[in-house]
Amino acid sequence: MPVSVRLYGAYSGFAGGAREAKVAGRTLREALDSLVAAHPSLRERIRDEHGRLREHLNVYVNKDDMRFLEGESTPVRDGDVIHVIPAVSGGR
Amino acid sequence: MAKSVAVLVGTKKGLFVLRSGAARSRWRVEGPHFAGQPVTHASFDPRDGASIYAAVNATWGGPRIEVSRDLGKTWKTAANPAFPKGTVGAAAGGGADGELSFKETWHIEPGHASTPDIVWAGTAPAAIFRSDDRGMTWTLVPGLSGHPSRKTWNPGGAGTINLHSIAVDAADPKKLAVGISAGGVYETRDGGKTWAPRNTGLTTETYAPGVVMESGQCVHHLVAHPTAPNVRFMQAHEGIWWWNEAQSRWDSGGDTGRPANYGFAAAIHPHDTETGYVFPLDWPQRMSNELGVAVYRTRDRGKTWKRMTAGLPKGAPMEVMREGLATDRLDPAGVYFGTNAGEVWASADEGKTWQRAAEYLPPVLSVGTATLV
Repeated sequence: MPVSVRLYGAYSGFAGGAREAKVAGRTLREALDSLVAAHPSLRERIRDEHGRLREHLNVYVNKDDMRFLEGESTPVRDGDVIHVIPAVSGGR
Repeated sequence: MAKSVAVLVGTKKGLFVLRSGAARSRWRVEGPHFAGQPVTHASFDPRDGASIYAAVNATWGGPRIEVSRDLGKTWKTAANPAFPKGTVGAAAGGGADGELSFKETWHIEPGHASTPDIVWAGTAPAAIFRSDDRGMTWTLVPGLSGHPSRKTWNPGGAGTINLHSIAVDAADPKKLAVGISAGGVYETRDGGKTWAPRNTGLTTETYAPGVVMESGQCVHHLVAHPTAPNVRFMQAHEGIWWWNEAQSRWDSGGDTGRPANYGFAAAIHPHDTETGYVFPLDWPQRMSNELGVAVYRTRDRGKTWKRMTAGLPKGAPMEVMREGLATDRLDPAGVYFGTNAGEVWASADEGKTWQRAAEYLPPVLSVGTATLV
């Protein structure tokens, strides 16, 4: 069972309406790279030109925010679910 | 003979397109495109008569440039302008350098008519990018963002150092001037390889009294005449300025005849090199003063000004942003402005009379025109 990535809100729109993708990878970084390989339109929406994850983006592995795990080095395994969620950061 | 006009209205929550016949008496509103996302600027490409470039500075997913080849019916996302790894430049002001990364697009300008594939983009942090494929991919022009004088640049009121104006010379495709807040005006005469400050004549008494500055001036909006070479017109933090090519300096547009020397927006008449339009604002509120909303027109490079208000609400305070005032290419010329209250006003007779072309839009960030044949 591969790793699943669920795309929410704007990020689903950036991927042409896809809400879920099956990806490969041993770490969160590899899984996100696999996601971008499957949906190239997400490349510049997820990272800036220097490879940094964009602001206003939350990434969870199962039920945990990656910031409280090992960041993009967090190990992932078959059956894990990665959530790519627009941050609740509106209001400007 | 023009058949119609489209007005591209960038707002805080998307891009609207206003369409009218050449009479410009009835307007139809389309949109929003990119609903909910700020569109800082949108420009029409008169060279192919079909392309529109939109600076979408979204919170989620980051900034991007959208390109339409069919006057806004369909859109395609361009590859972002990207600073190469290790590019350093003015990042925070006060002489502080940092590694640059693309934050926002502030202005997109089609290149010269003789170079139909070239498009320019001004960004925050302050840099100019060049596209050789009509907006789909972008390459940094390194000579400007790395200019030795960048240590004089400081953030403007928006909190970033940004390149907001690109004025392409009507005759020479390799000559263009840009405006940076707050870095002043720079010019290239070799297509972007080398750049030099062009700020002689500008005064800075209200924000840097007594200081002699070669660069670092607070310029607000710079435009070039679309058909006459070497004609540039500018609203700065301090005053109105016309470029004097013979003396390589700015001539004052005069301090009298307008309720304020301050403002952001500026537009030039498409057929008359001595006619310009501005929207004065009171400092520090940045709204029209107690006299209310008005466009001011000069026909003599600023010696005299006429207040143009027929049809506008009396005494209403309004704000117009730096990209919020534009002219079309018709004769008589149309003049348009958009307000922070979500209204777009149009004049089909060079500013003599006005009608409301749209209302209840989100706050307007930019107004551009497409004169369609």
